[in-house]
Amino acid sequence: MISMKNIWKSFGSNQVLKDVSITINSGEICALIGENGAGKSTLMNILGGVLPADSGTIYLKGQPVQFANPAESLRAGIAFIHQELNLVNDLPVFENMFLGREIRRRGGTLDLETMMAKTEDLFKRMNIDLDPRAMVRDLDASYKQIVEICRAILMDASIIIMDEPTTSLTEPEIKRVFQMMETLRDQGVGIIFISHKLNEVMEICERYMVLRDGELVAEGQVQDVTPDALARFMVGHDVRSEQLSRVMQIGNEILRVENLSHKHAFRNVSFAVRRGEILGFTGLLGDGRSELFQAIFGADAVASGKVFLDGKEVRIHSTEQALELGIGYLPRNRKENGIIKDMNIFENATIVTWPMYSKRGVIDKTRQEAIFARQREQMGIRMQRLTDNISTLSGGNQQKIVLAKWLAARPKVLILDNPTQGVDVGAKEEIYDVILALAEEGMAIIVLSSEAQEIIRLCDRALVMYQGHIQGEVSGSTMNEHDIMKLATGGILNAG
Amino acid sequence: MMETGRKTGLSRLFSPRWSTESHTGTVVVLVVMIILQTLVLGFDYDSVGHWFSAWGRNWINILRNNAAIGIIALGMTFVIITGGIDLAVGSTLVAIGAASMMMIDIGPKGFLGNLGVTGPFAYAITIICAILMGLILGALTGLLITKGRIAPFVATLGTMKILRSVTQHFMQGYNPRVPRDFLQISNLQVGGLMFMPIIYWLAIAAVLIYVSQRTVFGRQVIAVGSNERAAQLSGVNVDRVKVGAYALTGILVAIASIIQVARIGTMDFANAGSGYEMDAIAAAVVGGTSMRGGRGTIIGTVLGMLIIAVMNNLLNLFGVPPFLREAAKGLIVIAAVLFQRKDNV
Repeated sequence: MISMKNIWKSFGSNQVLKDVSITINSGEICALIGENGAGKSTLMNILGGVLPADSGTIYLKGQPVQFANPAESLRAGIAFIHQELNLVNDLPVFENMFLGREIRRRGGTLDLETMMAKTEDLFKRMNIDLDPRAMVRDLDASYKQIVEICRAILMDASIIIMDEPTTSLTEPEIKRVFQMMETLRDQGVGIIFISHKLNEVMEICERYMVLRDGELVAEGQVQDVTPDALARFMVGHDVRSEQLSRVMQIGNEILRVENLSHKHAFRNVSFAVRRGEILGFTGLLGDGRSELFQAIFGADAVASGKVFLDGKEVRIHSTEQALELGIGYLPRNRKENGIIKDMNIFENATIVTWPMYSKRGVIDKTRQEAIFARQREQMGIRMQRLTDNISTLSGGNQQKIVLAKWLAARPKVLILDNPTQGVDVGAKEEIYDVILALAEEGMAIIVLSSEAQEIIRLCDRALVMYQGHIQGEVSGSTMNEHDIMKLATGGILNAG
Repeated sequence: MMETGRKTGLSRLFSPRWSTESHTGTVVVLVVMIILQTLVLGFDYDSVGHWFSAWGRNWINILRNNAAIGIIALGMTFVIITGGIDLAVGSTLVAIGAASMMMIDIGPKGFLGNLGVTGPFAYAITIICAILMGLILGALTGLLITKGRIAPFVATLGTMKILRSVTQHFMQGYNPRVPRDFLQISNLQVGGLMFMPIIYWLAIAAVLIYVSQRTVFGRQVIAVGSNERAAQLSGVNVDRVKVGAYALTGILVAIASIIQVARIGTMDFANAGSGYEMDAIAAAVVGGTSMRGGRGTIIGTVLGMLIIAVMNNLLNLFGVPPFLREAAKGLIVIAAVLFQRKDNV
């Protein structure tokens, strides 16, 4: 019912979309996949009225249409739900539903009752169990996503674009959002589902479209394709999915944690990691693993319990101290915790080592540049000038920069929290290669991830967390998604 | 999405190319003002030499009158870049000024005089003590903000009131007499010209440009202001950087205070330094420093201060009534922030 024909778009000399034509029908969920920088966002931004196309036409029910801005696109029934949700945390759900289009009484005051009633009505119709009076702040990520979707429905959207809606959701939350999407599909709404997670595409979508380097390289029915084939379409060559192997030389124990507890986030956590080992930590979102390692790294309120480094007990009160002791932590949520947007690529890549490579407080730029030049080559960082702003890079390259700043410090223990979040398949493999190489050199590595696949492929063994404590351990070649999921949801593995 | 880059402050008006450290716009505004000022001053002199000396004297006056605030504004820039603000600079200036004057007083109550310490040695001790006092007051403010978790605006609003009121109370009916030689610090004449405060200002600015661009502290200030959490997770001691910025401001206020005391040898403890915080903030903002933190440069602040100073002088030469001059200052600050906000949309 909506189609885009022969869309071309370039930014400067960079041709981002080359003659792309796609169609989305009513009552179907269609996946739009591709690596970062493949042109997905640009294509959707054109459909959403955010960007103009250089050439090409959009047809709505057979009629050519033009969207000068997002409002026009919305009026035509196309709702774009961005990755960063547009909700106001301090307002209740029903007021968020009418944000910017509040219903007013004659005097100009808000008609809260009507807004409330309409929201309740919609929730009932959509079978959503949610109190419209709840504050958005108190909702979990999936309900926030659902509120956004409901808002789109309230605006009579017939096409909903969802940009990586499941990135920060846990397994049960994803189920909830998927149910909602299915309900909408059955009511005749067309959904474009942008995602990196191929298993989700397989689960929820009927059709797929693959973009690579600005071209539509494949499309078809999901039932006719395997995840491996989709991955191959995305990167243009075969993708490894087996467990990664390396020369294993596990050395002495380097970091040991005993009975670490925190008021809310985690309790009685004990584990140890050795040189050259890759230890995984997994579980559902909110299982406390990020909080655990931020506490070990000295970033947050001190927890009770003991931490030993090289056999000596240490009390880490600041991240600066952790860095000096040889512990590195690559945080999750690159945008909020990883990159510093007012600084350029070079500064973002060296911030950790400024104090190390400096003379009397003056940064040794020459030395930093030499180190970064090496890293740039080793990690295959694709960039223009050192002085370009960090936001000019793609997600994968930004992540490599954040990783690079820690590698330059040569920590003994490197904690990687969701190291491939929002990173495309190609860059993911490159980051894995870097991690394996570090382990071969004898660094102890702890990988935090909610992707079971990532844990299985990368780690020698993994601890699964459930509601703030370690529920169980999986290791070696017997690691599998089923066991991990069982532990992560509070189950226990049968002995033997 | 395309990243078109962001220019700072007025520079956006004139600079088409991307650079976070471009000051083209600010410079252009300044040059226009200088030309205007030259025209207003006129060419009604019997020789080029006379004209030049009048022009030069006018300039030295402008710069000298603004050197103290100019120095404070440099510290304010660091504080604002960290995402903070320091409203107490004016009161701190008075407090340190009062303390310094008590030390070098040549009357019966003079502290150093009573200890038998006089002359250059006494001046040196006074200056060192003033700087230490600035450092300590600034560091305490920083600790209130970091360890005490009080919003910078509130914390420094508090210290602003406390310092001013305590100073006035203790200085009631006491008029210290500053020795004549001490006044040389600000009034030393070289070739018939008094430009020492200008030298201090520019020398400090030069040092701070280097600090801001090349040192660990200078760059960490930017990192903290731009993304505090990311900086912390990169091993930056955020609290120490913030305390450092306030302490640096304290030191600069102390230097400004000595310059003020040495200019006329007295200080009106009720009014001296009041409004300095706003002028310093204005200079930083006009120079492209973002009140949201993370962006700003020392050069920008020097240029911003010059713009405000030249504008004041212009309004004076134009014969604009004194009460209206503040309005012009207000307008230029608002204009600068308007352009900044456009950048952030």
